[in-house]
Amino acid sequence: MDKFFDMTVLIAQGAAVTLEIFVVTLILSLPIGALAALGRLSTFKPLRYIMEFYVWIMRGTPLMLQLLFVYFALPMIGLKLPDIAAALLAFTLNYAAYFAEIFRAGIQAIPRGQFEAARVLGLPHWHTMKRIVFPQVLRIVLPPISNETINLVKDTSLIYILAMNDLLRVARTIVQREFDMTPFVIAGIFYLTMTAVLTWAFKQLEAHYGKYDA
Amino acid sequence: MESMLELTGIYKSFGDNQVLRGIDLVVDKGEVVAVLGPSGSGKSTMLRCINHLETIDKGSIHIKGKALVEGGIYVDESQQQQVLSATGMVFQQFNLFPHMTVLENLIEAPIYVKGIAKEEAVNIAENLLNKVGLIEVKDRYPARLSGGQQQRVAIARALAMNPDIMLFDEPTSALDPELTGEVLKTMRELAAEHMTMIVVTHEMSFARDAASRVIFMAGGVIVEENVPEEFFNNPREDRTKAFLMRNN
Ligand SMILES: Nc1ncnc2c1ncn2[C@@H]1O[C@H](COP(=O)(O)OP(=O)(O)OP(=O)(O)O)[C@@H](O)[C@H]1O
Ligand SMILES: [Mg+2]
Repeated sequence: MDKFFDMTVLIAQGAAVTLEIFVVTLILSLPIGALAALGRLSTFKPLRYIMEFYVWIMRGTPLMLQLLFVYFALPMIGLKLPDIAAALLAFTLNYAAYFAEIFRAGIQAIPRGQFEAARVLGLPHWHTMKRIVFPQVLRIVLPPISNETINLVKDTSLIYILAMNDLLRVARTIVQREFDMTPFVIAGIFYLTMTAVLTWAFKQLEAHYGKYDA
Repeated sequence: MESMLELTGIYKSFGDNQVLRGIDLVVDKGEVVAVLGPSGSGKSTMLRCINHLETIDKGSIHIKGKALVEGGIYVDESQQQQVLSATGMVFQQFNLFPHMTVLENLIEAPIYVKGIAKEEAVNIAENLLNKVGLIEVKDRYPARLSGGQQQRVAIARALAMNPDIMLFDEPTSALDPELTGEVLKTMRELAAEHMTMIVVTHEMSFARDAASRVIFMAGGVIVEENVPEEFFNNPREDRTKAFLMRNN
């Protein structure tokens, strides 16, 4: 029983690393994604093309490759980031691209009539975006953002290859040392708990922002 | 008679599609102008030019004597806002804000544009909802209302800004036939209170007995205009006659 407790404590420390990657990535990539979406919808063509290219690269190559690139290739051109920063950079760039696509689709789903109705009432543009458009976009993007967020929890396990002591790596280290499968089970329970909490939280948000549906 | 709206020599094209080819129109205070015409004749475009949802290429627009655009040149942004505050618009698709309750739809602009205190805005909104017979649904979201109710809320929302001229673009065309009556009734009541109205419509009965003047558009120009009785009983132009034959 003691052994089980020790394992859980070690794995919990790994979970802290996983959570850190998760939380920081989410906090950075959501606003960056929203800005990138506005860039993709901009009437300024160069900006639009740059954003399209960025999204294309990020969604068209494996996250694993992007991680390895930031970790191994950037130092070759003299850009050596600390481990955690390298991981966060790769995750943020990748997830911001996915979020950008989600936000873009959400904004484009708002009928033109909403903008026109606001305009003929004399509402200023920023006010229309904040009070009329954004709440409706939020409602539309919550389900896909919920999906991506849960993917992110699981994708954090990719930093395993960067030799950082995240949840999965700690578990595997103990398994190899002790010839005991329990750490994998414990790790699974940690992941399940995180995704369950997120699923619940997003359900609350969706219920809150969806209360106006027929 | 005080003129509420003056359109002079309005031209508007989309690309090489010439949609308005010289529109002249003067609307006096309290007039109810019904605009008829075949699909694609530029009725919506004309209405949308009046409140600058579309930008004209040539011509002048004056609202309550003040220029919105003169000789194709628009007045500056803040002046436009001021001139356009005299107009209200009702769309075919209602365009209510779906994430706001009926009451919230009505008070949003009065509070944020006019700077009216919330209490007073609610007061005004409730009076208007009483008037259109919808006070009992004030806390509902638009999706929970029938199309006819939604359009009456949209009318009330426009009225909450206290406009001097109301623009209607086929306000009953998106409605099931059995729901058009309640919306037309609300519009008739508004006309009876001497609201200045321009109504693009396919409802011949409304044009016939609620309008003070009927305008017939085709190919981007006003082909014929007259008081309803003359317009319907003695149309002068061939295109008008053909249109009335098809739509009566
Ligand atoms: N935003 C736009 N961009 C390009 N063309 C447009 C636009 N809006 C209208 N048009 C064109 O202008 C012409 C007139 O359109 P408009 O909507 O004013 O006609 P309408 O008389 O209101 O017709 P309907 O009875 O079908 O509503 C049509 O040929 C239409 O395709
Ligand atoms: Mg039209």
